[in-house]
Amino acid sequence: MSRSVPRTGVRRYVNVVNLGGLLIAGCATLPLVWMASASLKGPGEISATPPTLLPKDVTLGNYETAFTRNGIGHYFLNSVVVACLSTVLILSLAFFAGYALARMPLRGRGPVMTALLVLSVFPPIALLVPLFLMERQAGLLNSYPGLVVPYVALNLPFAIWIMRNYLSGIPGELEEAAVVDGAGPLRTALTVILPLARPGLFTAGVFSFTATWSEFLLALTFNGSDDRRTVSVGIALFTSQYQVPYGVIFAGAMVATVPIAVLVLIFRRSVVSGMTTGAVKG
Amino acid sequence: MSLHRRALLTGALGAAAAGLLSGCGGKDLDDLLAQAATVPRKPARLTWWVSEIPSRRGAVVADLIIRAFERRHPRIRVSKINALSTSDGNRSAIATQLAGGSPQPDVYLGDTTWPAQFGHSALALPVEKLLPDGFWDSYPQALRSGSTYRGSVYAVPFFTDSTYLFYRKDLLAKHGLRVPRSWEELLHTSRTVQRAGDTEAGFLWQAAVTESLTANVTEFLADAGAAVLDERGGPALGGAEAERAFSLMAEFTSRGVTPRTVATYQESDSQDAFVNGRGLFLRNWSYAWVNASTPQVSRVAGKIGAVPRPGFEGTGRSGVSCAGGWSNFVNPSSQELGAAMEFARFCASGEVQRLLAREAGVVPAMTSVLDGPEARAAGDPTVLRAADLTLVSRPVQTPYYPQVSKALYTPANAVVRGSLSPADGVRAAREGLRTALEGKAL
Amino acid sequence: MSSVLHRKTARTPSTGDGGGPVTGRSAPPDSVARRRARAGWLFASPALLVVAAVTVFPVLFSLVLSFSEVRLEYGGLRLGSPTLAHYEALLTHSEWYRALAFTLGFTVVSVFVELVLGTLVALVLERLGAARGWILALLLLPWALINVIAAQLWSYLFNGTYGAVGWLCEQVFGTRPDILGEPLPAMAAMVVVDVWKTTPFVAIVVLAGLMLIPGDVYEAAEIDGASAWTTFWKVTLPQLRPIIAIAVLFRILQAFGIFDLPFVLTQGGPGTATQSVAILGYRILFQNLDFGGGAAVAVTTAAIVLGCCLLFLRVFRAQADEGGRA
Repeated sequence: MSRSVPRTGVRRYVNVVNLGGLLIAGCATLPLVWMASASLKGPGEISATPPTLLPKDVTLGNYETAFTRNGIGHYFLNSVVVACLSTVLILSLAFFAGYALARMPLRGRGPVMTALLVLSVFPPIALLVPLFLMERQAGLLNSYPGLVVPYVALNLPFAIWIMRNYLSGIPGELEEAAVVDGAGPLRTALTVILPLARPGLFTAGVFSFTATWSEFLLALTFNGSDDRRTVSVGIALFTSQYQVPYGVIFAGAMVATVPIAVLVLIFRRSVVSGMTTGAVKG
Repeated sequence: MSLHRRALLTGALGAAAAGLLSGCGGKDLDDLLAQAATVPRKPARLTWWVSEIPSRRGAVVADLIIRAFERRHPRIRVSKINALSTSDGNRSAIATQLAGGSPQPDVYLGDTTWPAQFGHSALALPVEKLLPDGFWDSYPQALRSGSTYRGSVYAVPFFTDSTYLFYRKDLLAKHGLRVPRSWEELLHTSRTVQRAGDTEAGFLWQAAVTESLTANVTEFLADAGAAVLDERGGPALGGAEAERAFSLMAEFTSRGVTPRTVATYQESDSQDAFVNGRGLFLRNWSYAWVNASTPQVSRVAGKIGAVPRPGFEGTGRSGVSCAGGWSNFVNPSSQELGAAMEFARFCASGEVQRLLAREAGVVPAMTSVLDGPEARAAGDPTVLRAADLTLVSRPVQTPYYPQVSKALYTPANAVVRGSLSPADGVRAAREGLRTALEGKAL
Repeated sequence: MSSVLHRKTARTPSTGDGGGPVTGRSAPPDSVARRRARAGWLFASPALLVVAAVTVFPVLFSLVLSFSEVRLEYGGLRLGSPTLAHYEALLTHSEWYRALAFTLGFTVVSVFVELVLGTLVALVLERLGAARGWILALLLLPWALINVIAAQLWSYLFNGTYGAVGWLCEQVFGTRPDILGEPLPAMAAMVVVDVWKTTPFVAIVVLAGLMLIPGDVYEAAEIDGASAWTTFWKVTLPQLRPIIAIAVLFRILQAFGIFDLPFVLTQGGPGTATQSVAILGYRILFQNLDFGGGAAVAVTTAAIVLGCCLLFLRVFRAQADEGGRA
């Protein structure tokens, strides 16, 4: 495939790349379309064979149950607060740490990076009981900080790794120029490195947000009371030992997913530029 | 990092660890029991860890109970914590809190398979001294023995669950067949209706690798007259009876009476298939009656019946059911032991038990309520026929019940899938039981 | 779009290998380096302190538990005398080895598939025009879906009675496979779901890396008359190394901890075919209430994963010949 030959005519639209793009989009979304469709089906149709792609009788009953009986809206807000707060904290801490570990002459960088790796390989289920003990002593149970603090700590190691690897790959002239201009480390970091770091921050941000947004075991154990419950636990509560109400679960899942999807689609330009532009390209 | 700082850090960590653990352990049981013996006169707050109780008429049953309690004890306020309804998820969350010495929840609703293990691990308060004389006369013997471990009682009765054979009245009537009285007859009846194309599956049950299958295996073994444990708690599985039970499980799938996917079924899956008209018979816990009779969620509402499970031909045994259900446990770390104990007793009392019969789709634990006016008004055969059942306990009177359960369901699942012969399945289960009972299983 | 790629400025090969660009260059190197080192520690310490404050105690606690007799008493956990019994129990049990084998197999297969697919997807995305924003946004959706929900969604799709996947197989092959009820299909199903959910992440990480490759590198390759295939192997891939390393590292960590999928889809079955070490650890901890044994599973798992990661990094670094870094 030649990279610079301009394409004309039909070849402009029908080519390997565009078909690949379509295929990717299809594979990624088909199961989600299925979920959206199932959330609108009644109890009979949802388990019908052969399965129907689009619901024959559209019903909003599942959504009604999700909102009225299960308070999904409230759980959603809790999740937004916890995930956003955690992500912002993770990114700001990881940026500085990653920058220092990538580009500053620190002795003991190697051991620090290895130690971070050690902490992030430890299976979280084993941390549950000691973390619970700590949170109880600190009085953090059933509060936003009760989740944000462990989320930040548990996701930071990987975010630092991303930032460090990313920042050690960017060219050094700009930084040197700033130093020659007499800028201190903080100003260099904020004015020179930060704009360069956007794709790395974006990657780490996506990772941190989804990890905290999805987290289940800590949320279940630490924030058991209804007013601080997050959406992943809230939806798990729909399942009873008596039935798996797929319709209601999927309705809840839609409520938790659609706002994010809409946001991402609206801001898709900034998503792309966040990923693909840094000062590297001037 | 300098040596000095490292030493400082180690010291701080050690101190932190000691501090965290100092709040734990070493409480005297007699003190706890003394506290629990008196209901406080001053205001108290309780939290109740409770999973969803199936509702007969749409009311939130737990709230009704709390309101009734607060009317009796105006100075005690009870708030509930919604627990996960799946036994596994519920258990991990509550175990973490209890092992962490959390004073909350004060009272928790737990599975009737938990008492031995939770008692052994000091996660539940022994309550036998806190129950009035003659208390247990009102409840089934199987529930009492299931709640007891080494002479102590760790759970206060709330509701029970029994298993029944649910069947399609309409399909049996169409073919002029009666409700089968034996497994052999059930196989035959199923094939007849299946061959006529009136039902996809004959018999639906649960064979996923979970505790659901342990309950099924226990029942089939009891049908055949085989024991899992001997009187002294050692492994007793074996012989022709046990093999007969395992052969039956294999026969269901090999003859196509049960779809092979049963190996992935838990209660919810099999019930789902039944209410969607995919099966002729269903073995399930009593709550399936309410679900299968509700027209909004069930296509077979009004077309079903429920009877005690059949047995094997020539044994004279039928109507075997596992003793299941949920009981209240008292958290030994609770700050309000007296009030907590009072609440647990209240849930076992006639007032709440009658309320359960009226409002909840479960079988009240108190036997006298089962043929009372409330139960008759609800007209639920799984409540009205509860007295006809032969209740059997799962091998729960060991702190290693989860391992014991796993030793049973893992080979049984392979037998159902046809990848292990019934004889080998029994052998594997016996071997697994031995290891599990020694506490050496994972 | 492709013209944009050419506008990337070149990067000087001498930089980017750690140590900071200034060292050994300015007038009094010693004091500058020291000042920068102090600033570096100031930058790094907030993050490191947070991590240490929250995780060091639990990790040590688990370590201690795994080497101690643990009793539960009224009021909570109680540590007894030191013992190796928890490890002995694990190492003498075939079940632990089976769980380890499944987890390792799952990790290797799914990480490999995700890496290949993710790189392909990233290459496609890089070349896409106006549609890139849309597709990137759509790709983020599976990754952003809450794990427990994703598992529920696929358990619905794989349902043995009415699942769409089984129905599709019936239409294509004529028989309806019992996907979650047989060991191999159940394992394959886990890989499929994991690939569906996490390939987008790998793709995004790789895409971010692709954006860092200066355009003139490609130009040089083009002038040399290299084919697209050769360019990819000789130019693109080597440049992507550090970023691929991080993606693989992270995926190894995550895949090795696989829990939600088997927990929801199969409960570790059929038999113990899909019982991962995380599921085994969970069972030992919360079903058996054996806190020492559970901690031993965690510690052994951590040791194995750490070993894999360090080995991976070493091999990787040796190949990439960037020994000076970290």
